[in-house]
Amino acid sequence: MTAAPAFIECIGIGKTYAARTGPVEAMRGVSLSCAEGEFVCLLGLSGCGKSTLLQMVAGLEPPTTGQIIVAGRELDGPSPATSIVFQDHGLFPWMTVQRNVEFNMRARGIPRADRRARAAEMLALTGLQAFATRYPHELSGGMRQRVGIARALTTRPRALLMDEPFGALDAQTRGTMQAELLQIWAQQRTTVLFVTHSIDEAIFLADRVLVFTPRPGRLAADVPVPMPRPRDPRSPGSRAVAAQLRAALGADAGSE
Amino acid sequence: MPLNWPSNRLLGLLPILALLALWQAIVSAGIYPPVLLPSPAKVAGAFIQWGPVIAANALASLGRVALGVSLAFLVGVPAGLLIGRYPVLDRLADWSIQTFRSVPPISLIPLAMLFFGIDDTPAVVLIFLSALWPLLLNTIFGVRGIERTLLKVAAAARAPEGLVLRDIVLPAALPAILTGLRLAIGGGWLTVVTAEMIAVKSGLGYMILNAQMTFRTELIFAGIIVIGAIGLLGDQAVRLLRTRICRWQEGLLAA
Repeated sequence: MTAAPAFIECIGIGKTYAARTGPVEAMRGVSLSCAEGEFVCLLGLSGCGKSTLLQMVAGLEPPTTGQIIVAGRELDGPSPATSIVFQDHGLFPWMTVQRNVEFNMRARGIPRADRRARAAEMLALTGLQAFATRYPHELSGGMRQRVGIARALTTRPRALLMDEPFGALDAQTRGTMQAELLQIWAQQRTTVLFVTHSIDEAIFLADRVLVFTPRPGRLAADVPVPMPRPRDPRSPGSRAVAAQLRAALGADAGSE
Repeated sequence: MPLNWPSNRLLGLLPILALLALWQAIVSAGIYPPVLLPSPAKVAGAFIQWGPVIAANALASLGRVALGVSLAFLVGVPAGLLIGRYPVLDRLADWSIQTFRSVPPISLIPLAMLFFGIDDTPAVVLIFLSALWPLLLNTIFGVRGIERTLLKVAAAARAPEGLVLRDIVLPAALPAILTGLRLAIGGGWLTVVTAEMIAVKSGLGYMILNAQMTFRTELIFAGIIVIGAIGLLGDQAVRLLRTRICRWQEGLLAA
């Protein structure tokens, strides 16, 4: 796995914010790499900078120090090779599901007929065909996030960046969405960088879990998850990884 | 305790009917001479007698408001979208906006008459000015309220600026813009009547002033009633427009 060339590479990333009380160091010396097709979870408690790091990889925010390389090019803004999915969906409430899913393609000037075809494909993949003409407020939380994922996939990204996408969902919906995401991942062969604060979620999804600790945000551990999928959280393998992750997060961290 | 009468919406008529009854009572009591305070029946008669005159003047006033508010919309909304979107423009414009919006349009009537004479032009200019500020400020306010994630989605998709303004900034600001339009129509309507009393020779304001000079108080009352009724209708029309256009807001507003 480490032999594969890195698709996403962060080298010595630091982030310092200017606050009223003076500069605040949010992240220090984070280096990581992620191979093409790999499913990597960024795990940490709130304030550890994992979401900030994802936004930086998405090109939405520049790092204060260090460099980020995506698909062989140093980032100077959002890369066309990545798509991002947000926890609060980021759906446009005044657009139907169809128009929301087409938005990223319209942003690229893709012609209408091609947009329609590709959107139909992605709506089918995410089980949304029957909801194309609905508005976001008419959908459940899980359905809204499916729209967010469908929209992100329309541009055939080589990497999907996901910022706690299932964090606002109830436990049952969350489980369903995790299983569906793994299916989509297996089918589309995209790289996934997935931010979560849930140890269980990280173990269920990831090939590798990067553990972050706060103040300032730092990479504390790089833990591979070797068990075959689908994974049972009660298996000895899962329990061993969970123990490793808990230890890396620090003594005060529970499993959920 | 909300009342759940089926006729809840008609509740708004109650104070108006009460006022009408009070008016009739004062007339019957003979507190004021009839030449000052005509009876409701006499005012109703004035509507019949002067119907075409009232209608023509109301149309003249409405036309001016429509023109002035439309011009203000065409200037205020695009300017507001840009000022709300680009902090540089906000810093550039903020002091000027705050200065000029504090000037009551009515205080500009003398200047407007010097520059534009006695005609439609000074009235339309004044209506434009009184409608511009609520439209501009509400548009800016609406743009500022955009959910940040939506702008991140656009940035991550590398959406061109034209698409962002048309498909994200404008629709997100639309509810606030329509609130601005309500205030603009209200302000424009106030201004037109005042302007017509001074700088124009037609319209409801002119008609009322003229009726005073010829001691037709019943026509003054009729004019005031028409002004109020049109104000109410205009407000309801924009509210209706808002629920129509911003249907996607349903469920977002529940909380």
